[in-house]
Amino acid sequence: MVNKEYRGTRQWSRNRQAVAIVVWISFLSAAIATMLFFALFDPIELIAAFDPDLEAGREAGYAVGFFFFWILAALCSGVTAWLVRTAPKRDQQHR
Amino acid sequence: MATQPQNKGAADGSLYQSAAKIYPREIGGKFANLSKLATVTLLGLFYLVPWLMWDGRQAILFDMPARKFHLLGLTLWPQDFPFLALLLIIAALSLFFFTALAGRLFCGFACPQTVWTEAFIWMEQLTEGKRSQRMKLDKAPWSLNKLRRKGSKQLLWLTFSLWTGFTFVGFFVPIRQLGIDVIAFNIGGWTLFWMLFYGFATYGNAGYMREQVCKYMCPYARFQSAMFDKDTLIISYDEKRGEPRGGRKRSVDPKQAGLGDCIDCQLCVQVCPTGIDIREGLQYECIACAACIDACDSIMDKMNYPRGLVRYSTEHAMDSESTRVLRPRMFVYGALLLVLIGGLLTAMASRTPVILDIIRDRNSLYRELPGDLIENIYTLKIINQSNDARQFRLSVEGVSGLVLDGVADEISVAGGGVLSMPVRVRTNRDNAYGIMEITFNLSAVDDESITVIEDSRFLGPTP
Repeated sequence: MVNKEYRGTRQWSRNRQAVAIVVWISFLSAAIATMLFFALFDPIELIAAFDPDLEAGREAGYAVGFFFFWILAALCSGVTAWLVRTAPKRDQQHR
Repeated sequence: MATQPQNKGAADGSLYQSAAKIYPREIGGKFANLSKLATVTLLGLFYLVPWLMWDGRQAILFDMPARKFHLLGLTLWPQDFPFLALLLIIAALSLFFFTALAGRLFCGFACPQTVWTEAFIWMEQLTEGKRSQRMKLDKAPWSLNKLRRKGSKQLLWLTFSLWTGFTFVGFFVPIRQLGIDVIAFNIGGWTLFWMLFYGFATYGNAGYMREQVCKYMCPYARFQSAMFDKDTLIISYDEKRGEPRGGRKRSVDPKQAGLGDCIDCQLCVQVCPTGIDIREGLQYECIACAACIDACDSIMDKMNYPRGLVRYSTEHAMDSESTRVLRPRMFVYGALLLVLIGGLLTAMASRTPVILDIIRDRNSLYRELPGDLIENIYTLKIINQSNDARQFRLSVEGVSGLVLDGVADEISVAGGGVLSMPVRVRTNRDNAYGIMEITFNLSAVDDESITVIEDSRFLGPTP
């Protein structure tokens, strides 16, 4: 019986795993989305189109864009993970 | 306490696995050295590269505020994004290639998660001592000594994390100016935010989460096995040689005792940063750091058995079959990789210093002007991809008598600038009928070889 002790000490609960995966994968997706989006659109022009009176620089635009994508992606994968994990067990056993 | 001799025994306790990762370093070994070398090289590159200069400016700078990327002598603009995308695809494909060839080399030696974790463990070792000392320290009640050791570890970790965050931001805004701003407490809100954000991510990932990231969060760890075949290099335990395992004295001849070469010391389990037992076969948690190879080799040396009970091998070799490096999979990945790299280099080389886009006015086909003239309106977009301002001359041909109107003799475009301008083109009614092909010709005043030709259409009345 090798290392039960070793394995036991540092295992994450299912919920913790799910949260970590959702946060991390949506972070990666948001990074890619931000890159693609801002390669096409200049935040200065977007801010000007949205509200000409708003005084915000490019940095603010990038940050808001990134967090917008992150939240969106996290919502998406969060709900997906939740639905998959809460699906009725009976249905899954058929397969 | 720092001078206390190390407990090199095998079967001590219950500290979480990542602590055990220190062990191979104490034993040493060629893979531990290789890993150290990779860590120093990669971290060295990360922390030094932003400080390198090229032609009076930062050599590698993804200048987000100015929307341009400097790569040594090259300047890339947002419209060059396909290059970056291609580069990322090449990186992903290289990962496939090397995974098929040598397994999870990336995980064990090059992944930022591994590299920074190594650095953090090194700092932990520096302040809290070796593995056994740290176990003792964690169990001990709070004392001045514990506070001092834990405190100095946190101080090192936090300083290193903040410096990491600073360096990371230094890839995106000029780092020398950033350094001055930081010292003068004159730093922009968002810049500061990203520094702290990245610093905190480093601190959390490398200080606390460590191998949990690989086990639970990394997508590559889950799908890398799809690129494996029976000829991929993997870290494997030679079961035929090792079993039946069991403890024995050095003087005992294993053959006579009916034992294999594995003395069941469990050192391979203890050094494993992800806490698996390599003797149970290849598992997805294995990041191929090769710590178990070092550990086992050291024991084999002590027992005077040949090394390599745990070693880099392939499934075919383990089954005593022949192993091939050159196999269809390698050719497919390799060929794809070569095509993409070739494509990227060609595209880079044929990158023109100026781009011309022409959009015909969609609102009207043509206009009739007094004096029997037909006019078409276009919007021209001129992108100057060089770093300095340039003058250009525009001409148009394809229909006799074509004249440009509203265009200066020399059009000036700022370095990296995009100029959008309306252009009116006219000709005599006699020359214009139906749809005719015309070409715009834009050439730099200072360098005739920089010329772009763009086709468009000129519409006239149908006779």
